[in-house]
Amino acid sequence: MSGARPGEAAAFRIGERLVGKEPWEVFGERIRRYEVYLSGGKIEIVRGPIALEGYGIRLFRNREDATGIGYQASNDFSEAGIQQAAGDAERLSRFASFPTARVELPSGRGATGGIVEVLDRGLWEYPSDSLESYVAELQSAFEGRTHCALSFGAVRATLSETSICNSAGLRTGFGHTTVDLELGVKAFGGAEGPAPGEYWVTELHRRLRTTSLRDQADAWCRFAEDARTGRPPPTGEMSVVLPPSVLAGILPDVFRGRLTGSAQLEQVSLLAGSTVGGELATIYDDGRIPWAPMSSPVDDEGVPQRRRTLLDHGVVMDNLYDLLHAGAFEAQSTGNGFRGFQGGSRIWFRFLQPPELATSTIAIDPGHGGTDAELAEAAHDGIWIQQIGWSSPDPLTGAFGGEIRLGYRIRDGKLAEPIRGGTVGGVAVAPEGQPSLMTSLQAIGSHVELSDPISCPPVLVRPLAVAGE
Amino acid sequence: MGELSESEDPLYRLVARLTQRGPFVEVLAQATSGLSVRYDSHGSSFQAAPRIRGAVFRAWTRTGWSEAAISGLDAGSLRMVEGMIERTLAHRPAREGPPGVSSTARLETFTTSPRPIQEMGEEEMVMMARDVFGWTQGLPDIRNTHVSISWRQDERLYLNSAGARCLQGVCRVRGSIRPIALENGRAEAEYFVRGGVGGREVLDALTPENARRSAEDARKLLHARAPPSGKRTVLLSPSLTGYFAHESFGHGAEADQFVRDRSYLKPLLGQVVAPEILTIVDNGAYPGAWSQIYCDDEGHPAQRTVLVERGRFVGALHDRESAAAVGALPTGNTRRTDVLSRSFVRMTNTYVEPGDSTFAELVKETRDGVLLESGTSGIEDPLGGLLQVKARKGHLIEKGEVTDLVSSMALSGRVLDFLSAIRGVSGKEDFALDTSSCGKGRTDYLPNSAGGPYLLSTAVVGPA
Repeated sequence: MSGARPGEAAAFRIGERLVGKEPWEVFGERIRRYEVYLSGGKIEIVRGPIALEGYGIRLFRNREDATGIGYQASNDFSEAGIQQAAGDAERLSRFASFPTARVELPSGRGATGGIVEVLDRGLWEYPSDSLESYVAELQSAFEGRTHCALSFGAVRATLSETSICNSAGLRTGFGHTTVDLELGVKAFGGAEGPAPGEYWVTELHRRLRTTSLRDQADAWCRFAEDARTGRPPPTGEMSVVLPPSVLAGILPDVFRGRLTGSAQLEQVSLLAGSTVGGELATIYDDGRIPWAPMSSPVDDEGVPQRRRTLLDHGVVMDNLYDLLHAGAFEAQSTGNGFRGFQGGSRIWFRFLQPPELATSTIAIDPGHGGTDAELAEAAHDGIWIQQIGWSSPDPLTGAFGGEIRLGYRIRDGKLAEPIRGGTVGGVAVAPEGQPSLMTSLQAIGSHVELSDPISCPPVLVRPLAVAGE
Repeated sequence: MGELSESEDPLYRLVARLTQRGPFVEVLAQATSGLSVRYDSHGSSFQAAPRIRGAVFRAWTRTGWSEAAISGLDAGSLRMVEGMIERTLAHRPAREGPPGVSSTARLETFTTSPRPIQEMGEEEMVMMARDVFGWTQGLPDIRNTHVSISWRQDERLYLNSAGARCLQGVCRVRGSIRPIALENGRAEAEYFVRGGVGGREVLDALTPENARRSAEDARKLLHARAPPSGKRTVLLSPSLTGYFAHESFGHGAEADQFVRDRSYLKPLLGQVVAPEILTIVDNGAYPGAWSQIYCDDEGHPAQRTVLVERGRFVGALHDRESAAAVGALPTGNTRRTDVLSRSFVRMTNTYVEPGDSTFAELVKETRDGVLLESGTSGIEDPLGGLLQVKARKGHLIEKGEVTDLVSSMALSGRVLDFLSAIRGVSGKEDFALDTSSCGKGRTDYLPNSAGGPYLLSTAVVGPA
């Protein structure tokens, strides 16, 4: 394990104390957190190191055709604290029931997670200095601009040592880093110009990136300026281009709701072999994409992550499973047991929660749609969505939609005036015979971009419902 | 009385020692307990609140605030944090105290109830959940129902070098019912939730009538029409009115945005922004509401703050610094998600006060438009003054009558346009507060509540 002394990992220390309580699993974390908050372009608060070490004990108690699951999280590493947490988990398992008689814990023998790039070495070794120089570069990227500035900012770096062990003999762990960037970029000024406008940057990365901050700031300032003059779009069904940052807020939640073991339990999973999308709809779940926030050698249950095909040219292929749902459907876990979801994102300390079944990184390979300009040309008449307020998809129905925070009208195959306000929405994926984004894909761009839980090019969809003036 | 009692003396002595090294030091310690059960057709699962204790120390230095957090209240953790703060104060000594008013409040309040939820064991909780589940079964198309019952005791102790001592234990209880209807591959769900500060009485809302009604509503959604698109007269249900209040005046009136010069509301303070029928309030002291607190995380007692009074924008929400920046007083709205997180100015229970119209009058006044019901989410735009709220469902209003059911939709528009178009607010018989949570940015989620009665205005709606 990177950065940890062998044998001292949080989970291993607890696992040694659980002899006689089999079957069990321990998930441990040792975390350092560093935060810098900006108010305007100035540093408001510097926080850290915020140190936290904790663990979650999960016990599995078989009862005929079901299993009682007990879970307790704690940061008390004393003998009494560990026994109290284990006792709590034992007590809760008596009243809990999951519909599987079999929970096959990974032993760690055979397939292992191997190496996945998820640790920023410079940040790990020199967290304060790295963060300080990144923030300085960020501030510098806005210096000299007379009509654009940061209105607020938060840069948060988390350095985690994850450790997992279980009564089947698994002892694994890995170090990983995450960098959470939230910025408000404000455009203002000009003679009798419009009211100030703001563009929000919300990004999650595995590493600090400093090479292109000035270029990025140029783009952010342009978006903020366009937000000042954007008007709502026309109402109707039209061609719409959705970039990765917008798809990131739609597809992962919907595939979690429709192509997992939990969807099978609810009888809402898409039927294997059914055709729910067009020829271009080939979608993967890939937990091994370098530097993706959801990537890791193993999931939070210790099962190696893999690349799985969810849709192949529109045809439903794999369902995703964690350990419990794999047991319920006599399948193998696909390495999709993850912890720490809250309010649409993942919290930085995850041992508080037991695993739940979720997608890793949703991936779409590059298509033949070409550059952004070529996609706009293919759209001919429509809109390019740059940012949606909150698409908040419904995993059950697949419906998504929200306010257009920034977009551009496409006229005669070229990006034209900015759009702001109005709504865009539809259904992301639906059973065979029903229209959805998957059946409406007209073109896939040729350049893949990683955007938090998704790795894909921009896509052209036709038609999609837009409401405006 | 609480779990933090035994830690109070060492914390008090630590603050006293650090006070000799700087003008102002404060500590917030936290301990949580609780239990939640989820029950559905596949089984049940329990989750206990994590056994986590900790504290965050904040000291005023020459260059501003310095914070250090620990996840443990043992002697070793306290020695470590004392050393960190001492070093910071030695390197960056402050000559003067921080801006704003330091709390000198002394209070000790714990949620009381004639029927304490803590006495409810695991077996009783799972039996109640099973009963609620059973009430929704047997209806055609209802394939499953998720029932969730939970409580969480959040104990916080605030001490500072000005002599404040606030010990509070807030017990939040919540129950929810989510029936899922399925027909020919189409799935729809309805959601009933009640939460509040108190005891088992909060769960009295989990009745057979409410369970069956939400199941029936889920079934009806299977046959809902697509919602309309474009600019429409909109009638907001109490939960949507709450989302409007929260996203428009709640976030825009969090005065840390004033300090950053990123609130479209800042230049409008004192001006008329809406018809006289509109009054919006944030009230952290609202008895029993989901986001009730007794004091905030700077030790200021919770209070009722009027944001919009009869159409005039009159007040904002403050922490000590934002209040000092605009010559106001703290309003008891400084909140931390937990002791590992920083503080922000945050809302509590934000709502539109009841008006004089009846629901029937508002429907008639709408004539042709859409009634939006069951709010699911919202997002603000403090600088640009836009808002988005989403509804799980709605009904068309045609010729002054409520007609067909329509599926989920989003509402968007400029807040000031929406305000100026407000034409009616219904009375107290319709008033309701919801049970929700809110983040500041993509993190820092807190229990939050919003609500009001029915509200009539104009906005753009579209499928979502």
